[in-house]
Amino acid sequence: MAEQTGKKFNWHIVVFLAPAVLVYTAVMIFPLFNTLRLALYTETENIRQFVGLDNFRTLFGDPRWSESFWNALANNFWFFFIHMLVQNPIGILLAAILSHPRLRFAGFYRTAIFIPTILSFVIVGFAWKLILSPIWGIAPSLLDAVGLKSLFAPWLGREEYALTTLALISVWQFVGIPMMLIYAALLSIPEEMLEAGEIDGITGASAFWKIKLPLILPSIGIISILTFVGNFNAFDLIYAAQGALAGPDFATDILGTYLYRTFFGFQLQLGDPHMGSTIATAMFAIILIGVCIYLFGIQTRLRRYQF
Amino acid sequence: MTALKLTDVCKTFGTTEVLKNISLEVEDGEFVVFVGPSGCGKSTLLRVIAGLEDATSGAVEIAGDRVNNVAPAKRGIAMVFQSYALYPHLNVRDNMALALKQANESNSTIDERVTEASRMLSLDDYLTRRPAELSGGQRQRVAIGRAVVRHPKLFLFDEPLSNLDAALRMNTRMEIASLHRSLETSMVYVTHDQTEAMTLADKIVVLRDGRVEQIGAPMELYNNPANKFVAGFLGAPSMNFINAAGAVELGIRPENLNLSESGQLQGQVIHVEKLGGDTNIVVTLTTGETVTCRLFGQHDHRVGEQVTLGFDMNRAYLFDASGERIEPS
Repeated sequence: MAEQTGKKFNWHIVVFLAPAVLVYTAVMIFPLFNTLRLALYTETENIRQFVGLDNFRTLFGDPRWSESFWNALANNFWFFFIHMLVQNPIGILLAAILSHPRLRFAGFYRTAIFIPTILSFVIVGFAWKLILSPIWGIAPSLLDAVGLKSLFAPWLGREEYALTTLALISVWQFVGIPMMLIYAALLSIPEEMLEAGEIDGITGASAFWKIKLPLILPSIGIISILTFVGNFNAFDLIYAAQGALAGPDFATDILGTYLYRTFFGFQLQLGDPHMGSTIATAMFAIILIGVCIYLFGIQTRLRRYQF
Repeated sequence: MTALKLTDVCKTFGTTEVLKNISLEVEDGEFVVFVGPSGCGKSTLLRVIAGLEDATSGAVEIAGDRVNNVAPAKRGIAMVFQSYALYPHLNVRDNMALALKQANESNSTIDERVTEASRMLSLDDYLTRRPAELSGGQRQRVAIGRAVVRHPKLFLFDEPLSNLDAALRMNTRMEIASLHRSLETSMVYVTHDQTEAMTLADKIVVLRDGRVEQIGAPMELYNNPANKFVAGFLGAPSMNFINAAGAVELGIRPENLNLSESGQLQGQVIHVEKLGGDTNIVVTLTTGETVTCRLFGQHDHRVGEQVTLGFDMNRAYLFDASGERIEPS
């Protein structure tokens, strides 16, 4: 066909694409499909056997597996819920404040709020563990200093608080990302449009609700889906702060930590790559469904505006 | 009654003086055009009137009330922006209704006003469309409609036609003129286009470098310009300036130059513009100046041709070295 049209086949396209395709295949596509494949096997007496969907039957059917799975999934939804409820509204609020033309030192605040994002999970997890420690932490003494010591509780050590506390630590670390995205979206709204609003009497809070917010909705959608994917893939912070057992008593166990324990084994539990892959596949499916709901159900209804 | 009165309005940004002691009045029902080259401060002046900028000093009075410290929405004005600045997420009806909703007008009032404006601007078929689904001219009309529904005491237009193509510009100009006739509300209109100024205005304010150069009716300014700047700015093609005795300059409008064997000026044709109804001949004189001569009807002249141009001294203007008009004594 290339010869028929008299044009040479553009080999340079292949040559330039090849490195990226090869690397991406080696580190992403192959492991992904191999994980999906591994979920269909099991190993007995050092022989790998094809078992079809048996592993999934075990995961969802066997109470020893399914209870942990549903616990991790529910915890994961709570983790996501806290991010959507706290991180994103605060990010939007910070962006709205930052984009105020009369705010001084906006650049400083922007950088300061964004810095935790570039810190390692290990540092964040460890630092907060120290801050909140009832024994050496500064949180109890700080609360004591303002006379609120009675409010203090060992937040990371109590089953009812631990997951929420960790979610809020994660919010603290990542609130800079929605802030930056919304800030950029707010800056792209033309000045004349806001002035037209000013002439129409739409200023301050109503300018935000009636003009700015509808125009940044697509950015909020993107942030929501990034949060969803990030939260359902989360692992590091829980591991750094609470260890692989995601204590107390699995109260902070999310899909990532559950997968880690199953796949690699932890303490007395032996690693099982096949059950691990089964959990990984379930996680993949959950995220895929979530992203599809967003792409087909929500994003198509969000309008993007050209200014 | 005076719709707008500016007294010694000054505006500085940092150390830059953008407006210098502007004083003017707009009578009730008057159409006033601010015209001047870019950077003359005309848009800033409009923004000061609107309240989008604060005057550094001086008084802004709208319908007799001093409004220096009044929010834009409370000044009784409505503004049409150059980029239209429509709300992209709202349809045409809601774009027009938003200001009224914000002011807590009743639904029946909102309906009535939007219907009235949409009928006036022939927007009835587009009320449920969003700005992105409209052409430039339609968007322009929505922007005007958004101003009309507020029943302002004073309309402000900031170069509203500059984003339209030439044919549409002429049409919209007529629509704005007829809108003014039917509403009988005062309008202030900013433009850099002297044709718009001449065709629309009851009164023109010519601005340069933040100063008022001259205020007057279009023909008054055309026939009796105060200085060389006003003389050169109004009229297309613009006035010819020829060095006369000493530092005095002679200004002659292109239509007042004619071809005559006994004329005072000789030169060579360097360009001919045939417009059908008119023919413009650009001539470089033997003294070095380039002048434009506007002839009525169609004429056959070629580049390179030698011509002699004449004019009537009674229809010429004299300007001194500083550009001020020397009145004929």
